[in-house]
Amino acid sequence: MKIGKKLAGTLAIPVLVLAVCLLISGTKGILLFDSQLSWITFIRAAANVVLVTFALSINLNSGRFDFSIGSVALLSSVISSMIATKLNLSAVWMLALSVLFGALLGLISGLVYVSVKLPPIIVSLAVALFYEGFAFTLTGGHGVSFANNASLLGFGTIPNYLLVIASSLALMVIVYDHTKFGYEYKALLSGQKVAVNTGIKEVPNAVLCYVIAGILMGAQGFISATSNGAITMALNFGSISPMFMAFLPMFIGGFIGRFTNDKLGYLLGAISSALISLTYVRLNVSSSAQQIISAVLMVSFLIYLNNEGKLKQLLKR
Amino acid sequence: MKSFRKFFVLCLSFVMMLTLTACSSGGGSADADPTQKTVKIGVLVSDTTSAEALSFRSYYEKYIQSVYNVEFMYSDELTDAAAEQSAIDNFIANNCQAIISFASSDRPAQIEKCEQEGVYYAVATGTLTDDQYEQFKSYSHYVGAIGPDLAAEYQAGYDMAKHFLDQGYTKFGMFTGASVYFTEMHIYRAAGMLAAMCEAGKGDYSGATGYDIVGKIMADGGNVSTGKIGSVEVNGVVSGYDFDDAWFGKLAAVANDPNVDVLLAVGSGQTAFAGFKPEGKMLGDIDCYTADSVALMESGTLNYLAGKFSASIGPIFAATLSAVYGKPVRTAEGNALALSQGYWIATDAEMAKKYFEVDSSTTNPAYTKEKLDTLIGASYDDFAKFVAAYSFEEIQK
Repeated sequence: MKIGKKLAGTLAIPVLVLAVCLLISGTKGILLFDSQLSWITFIRAAANVVLVTFALSINLNSGRFDFSIGSVALLSSVISSMIATKLNLSAVWMLALSVLFGALLGLISGLVYVSVKLPPIIVSLAVALFYEGFAFTLTGGHGVSFANNASLLGFGTIPNYLLVIASSLALMVIVYDHTKFGYEYKALLSGQKVAVNTGIKEVPNAVLCYVIAGILMGAQGFISATSNGAITMALNFGSISPMFMAFLPMFIGGFIGRFTNDKLGYLLGAISSALISLTYVRLNVSSSAQQIISAVLMVSFLIYLNNEGKLKQLLKR
Repeated sequence: MKSFRKFFVLCLSFVMMLTLTACSSGGGSADADPTQKTVKIGVLVSDTTSAEALSFRSYYEKYIQSVYNVEFMYSDELTDAAAEQSAIDNFIANNCQAIISFASSDRPAQIEKCEQEGVYYAVATGTLTDDQYEQFKSYSHYVGAIGPDLAAEYQAGYDMAKHFLDQGYTKFGMFTGASVYFTEMHIYRAAGMLAAMCEAGKGDYSGATGYDIVGKIMADGGNVSTGKIGSVEVNGVVSGYDFDDAWFGKLAAVANDPNVDVLLAVGSGQTAFAGFKPEGKMLGDIDCYTADSVALMESGTLNYLAGKFSASIGPIFAATLSAVYGKPVRTAEGNALALSQGYWIATDAEMAKKYFEVDSSTTNPAYTKEKLDTLIGASYDDFAKFVAAYSFEEIQK
């Protein structure tokens, strides 16, 4: 594929989304990026979405639907914030703890999955309920509030969010594109039976996937918690909702992945999604309208992906 | 063989006689002193995680259950009318003699079911609409409702906005919570705030003033719009509980808007605004008293709090228990209770701390057993007088 076509394919969707968002806000007489707060809102959303998208894609691409990722973010951020506030630790320490506990919770999820040998969708729902209940019990149901803690809230700066985004992209690219584990992961994706027959061990690979997803969700839980200084409890699968924000960027990333590295595709998908979020904020779009717009966008994109061949044929005529 | 059969029948008759005697004597002693028998009470809840819901639960389970011979059985988080009906069935199957409801998806259906099943039913921290009360007030198993009625909710919003307007603030941002889901409590609180702004700014909200604002908000789908109200400005409004990036972005935008000096929340203001609020801006909230809210008031992040106190659900418990004991508290016409209660208002950290200390106590709460005992079998007038004296100072007397 020629470089020009690659570049066009890679940037088409984010540029188109940016143009549409600028146009819509422009017609309302509103600047999309009018202040530092707009930039922070945009980059924080991009960081949140890209972390969830990476975490979701790791297992979903392998056919493992993991409903527990939101609860991993919830519980890891609860534990890390409780420790950080008690010991008066800085935001960097809280991030490190959140990532550590995210990895541990991911490991537990993975071990449960490979041990009980039930469909991952059922295992992940059970794990989600357990983690939600555990977080609820730890906080007595009250959640965690550190709105007074300037040190922890101070993490929310543009350079910090950019650093998190860059680190997560680097982690994904290095681990999945430049390690033996990554090659084995890809081999298992393209044909598990053949891969296993060649000596690849699918069980440790699956467990490690859960650990990496846990690390990413630990970081996401930290960003979410430190953006407003409060963690509210979720019960009865209330923690599942964050994963839904990753579907549109995952589909967009999958499309962009044809022209470039799929991880970069997910990042560009997350950036497109964050641009849409910022437009909702700047235009103060109501939550009901937001949900309708987001659903229409996702369904339209899926319709396009499913009928791409037919559309190309139509255009050729 | 015949004599053995006779002996067997005689023994059987003797055992039956003994059993019947035991049963009748047991029933007799319960009638004599109903407090000897543990009363099982089902509690319907639609919220299991908010600070308010947790403090109410703590009062019932950690205090009331330890001083009265009662056992509370809580439902799961009920999100719809079908779940409420199923939970009532579950309570009845578990021999609950009464149900106290914090869930309001379909209150008329709850009342009807409890009446049919002969189980006492009471509404905690809320009231029925006038039409509903007219329909159910004579039901023998409907104990009644005690809590902030919609007029009290309106007043809570009005008082909070007025507190800041009186200090000369004129630029406001609002969080209207579940108003977009047509939660009346939040609509009335928001309407109260806007009504106070209309009075102070000598203007109107989209042509409406006073209670008419409620209708205006309802007509606009539960949405409150920004704009000028005479000399007062509402320069930012956020609603819903989306907890997504856009929602947090909107809250941060309103909190940091240079044209907003005061942030008013109909509830959850500490979650919504506290983390984003720059120094120098004011924040008012209608919620409950927790350690976190006290800490936020001490740091100056939260400047006004109208809070329900956890023991406020004590009188409805007493009325329910009284009904189970065969001494229902009814009006002179024989109707169920319908009493309103207001909020404890803290405008500084000292007040909040004082309220929280009493409110969070599991040994000496605002309404102790000693106080609630005066309500068991009380006359309607005495009961109403007790509930009306809800302010912190009146209760502490």
